[in-house]
Amino acid sequence: MTGSALAGRTSTAGTTGMRGTSGAAVLRRKRRLSRLLTGILIAVLFLAPVLYVVMIAFETPTHFLTSPMTPPSSAHLSNFSQGWTGADLATELVNTVIYSVVASAVSTVLALLIAYPLGRRLVRGHGALYALLAAGLFLPLAIIPLFIEARILHLYDNMPGYIILHIEPGLPLGVVVLTAFVLAIPVELDEAAWLDGTSYLGYLGRVIVPLIRPALLITFLYGMLGVWNDIIGPVVLLGATSTNLFPITRGIYTFYGQNESAYTVFAAALVIASLPLVLLFAGTQRQLVRAAIAGSVKG
Amino acid sequence: MATLSVRARTANWRLGKRRASPARLLGRGSRLTMWAGILLGLAVYVLFGLVPAIANVAVSFTNYALYPGAPINFTGWSNYTSMFTTERPGFIQALIATVVFVTAVTVLQNLIALAVAHRLVGDSRWNGVLRVFVFLPIVLGVTIVGLVWILFFEPGQGPAASLWGLFGAHSSFFGSAGLALPLVIFVQVWQNIGFSCMVFIGGLKSISPEIYEAAEIDGVSRWQRLRRLTFPMLAPAVSVNVLLAVVGSFTTYNLIYVLTAGQYGTMTLGMLSFDAAFVDSNLGYGAAVGTVLFAMTFVVALPLMMYLRGRERRLLT
Repeated sequence: MTGSALAGRTSTAGTTGMRGTSGAAVLRRKRRLSRLLTGILIAVLFLAPVLYVVMIAFETPTHFLTSPMTPPSSAHLSNFSQGWTGADLATELVNTVIYSVVASAVSTVLALLIAYPLGRRLVRGHGALYALLAAGLFLPLAIIPLFIEARILHLYDNMPGYIILHIEPGLPLGVVVLTAFVLAIPVELDEAAWLDGTSYLGYLGRVIVPLIRPALLITFLYGMLGVWNDIIGPVVLLGATSTNLFPITRGIYTFYGQNESAYTVFAAALVIASLPLVLLFAGTQRQLVRAAIAGSVKG
Repeated sequence: MATLSVRARTANWRLGKRRASPARLLGRGSRLTMWAGILLGLAVYVLFGLVPAIANVAVSFTNYALYPGAPINFTGWSNYTSMFTTERPGFIQALIATVVFVTAVTVLQNLIALAVAHRLVGDSRWNGVLRVFVFLPIVLGVTIVGLVWILFFEPGQGPAASLWGLFGAHSSFFGSAGLALPLVIFVQVWQNIGFSCMVFIGGLKSISPEIYEAAEIDGVSRWQRLRRLTFPMLAPAVSVNVLLAVVGSFTTYNLIYVLTAGQYGTMTLGMLSFDAAFVDSNLGYGAAVGTVLFAMTFVVALPLMMYLRGRERRLLT
C-alpha cells in the first residue's frame, strides 16, 4: 500500500530536486511501472466480475457448460430475448422508473420547501428543526413498523403506496445538502424580490431553483438511485403474487430463484437490468463522483 | 451523514451575525405557502421516518404477528429475555457474526479505500476513468452487485470454481459454512469502497501541494511526510469514513439478503431481525432484535464519534 501511495503522491507533487540524473530516470521509470500495474489491478478488480457476466450472457448454454471461461465464438443473442420475456423486464423497468423518478422528485421538492426557510431562518426554531431533520440520517430504517403502518394506511401492495413510502428516505439528506447551498446565496436577492411583491413559490422557482440546480440534481439523483436499488422495500412492501408491481430489483432476484440453472439467460437478464443504470451513470458520473469527492452526500 | 463541507458551512452559519428576520418582508399569502411547504415535508418525515423508528420499540414488547387478524398482546420483556435462552437459538451467533462483520468491513474498507485513493488522487484522464470503475458498484446497487458475485462464485461453472480447481480444491462458496461470511464481507467491501475512496480523495486533495514542496525542500523524508503531513490532514476524512462504515455495516443487511439470506453463518443481527419478522412471521421478536441492534450501534457509534472528533482536533492543531 505505502509503495504505490508514495509513488502517487510524489509524481503529482513533482520531483524537482532529482531531475536530470540517470538514477532519477530509473526511479521515474520504476514509479511509472508501479503506477501502471496498480492501475491495471484496480481496473481488473472492479471490472472482471462485470465483464464475466457480460461474456456468459453471449454464450450458448452448452458452451457455458463445457468451457465457460472461453469467450463465445459468435454472439448468442437469444439469451437476451429469453431473459427479457422470462423475467418480465419490460413491466419491471417501467415500474422502477415510475417509482424512483416520482418518489425522488417529490422528495427533492419537499426538501427544498424545508431547506429554503431553514437556511434563511424564516421560521422560529429553525436550528432545532434542522437538527431534527438531520437526525434522520442516523435513524435506523425501521422496516417492521413501516410494514405495519403501510398495512394500516392501505399503502401496502399498491403503486401509489409504494411511491409514498419511498419519499421519506431521501428527505434528511436533501434538507442537509440543500440548506448548505441556500446559505451560499446572498440574502439581498430575496429582499429585493420580496419588496417587489414576488410570490414565495414564484421566487423559489424562478430565482432559487436555477441558482442551486447542481445541488437539486445531486439530491434527485442520489434519491433516485436509493429507490431504484432498494431490495428490502419491494420484498416487504409488495405482496409475493403482485408480480405486476415488482420493481427490477425484486423481479431479477425472483427470476434468479426460479431459474437457478439457466445461467446464460439469467446473465443476459442481469445485463439488461444494469443497462439503464450504466447509461444514467455515463450521463451523470461527473456530478455523482464529484459530489462524493466534495463530501456533500453519503453513500 | 452530515459532511465536512456541510458541517463547516453550518458552523459559519451559527457563528454568523444574527440579522433581523427577513420573514416580515413576506406577504401574508407567501407566509402561508411557506408554512404549508414546511409542514408537508415535516409530516412525511414524522409519519414515515420518526414514527416507525419509535414504534419499533413499542412493537418489540408485543407478539405482533405477520398475518393480519392474529390477536396482538403485550408480552413485556419476553422478546428480550428469550434472546438468551434455547427458545430462540441463533441470537448469540448473530451477535458474534455482527461483531466479525462490522470489524472486518470497517478495517478492510478503509484500508483498501485509502490505498486506492492514494493511487487515484491525481486528476489525470486515466484516473478519472478508474474512479468511474471504482464507483460503479455504488450505482449498480446491492441486487445487481450481489447477483453478479453469485454468478462469479457459482460452484459448478464460475471462474472462482475454476481457480479453486487449479489447486484441486472445491467449495460451494456462498453455500459453504466456512467461506460464506468472509465472502459476504468481501462483497460488502467491494460494493462500498467507491464511496469511501472518493471521500479520501477529497481529503487528500484538500492538502495543498505547496506544503509537500516546502517539506521536500526542507529535506523531510517521504515517510515523515506521510506520517506528519498526510496522515493528520486526512483526519476529517478518516472520521467520516470510519463512522459511515461502522454504522452502515451494523445496520445494513440488504446485500446479505441477496447473497445468502443469512444462511451459512452470515446471519447478522440486522438480517436476523428481518428473518424473524418476515420469514418466521414474528414481528415482535424481529422488532426486539432491531431495537437491540439500534442500541448497540448507538453505544458504539457515539463514543467513536467523540473519539474521532477529539482525534481530529489533536492532529490538526
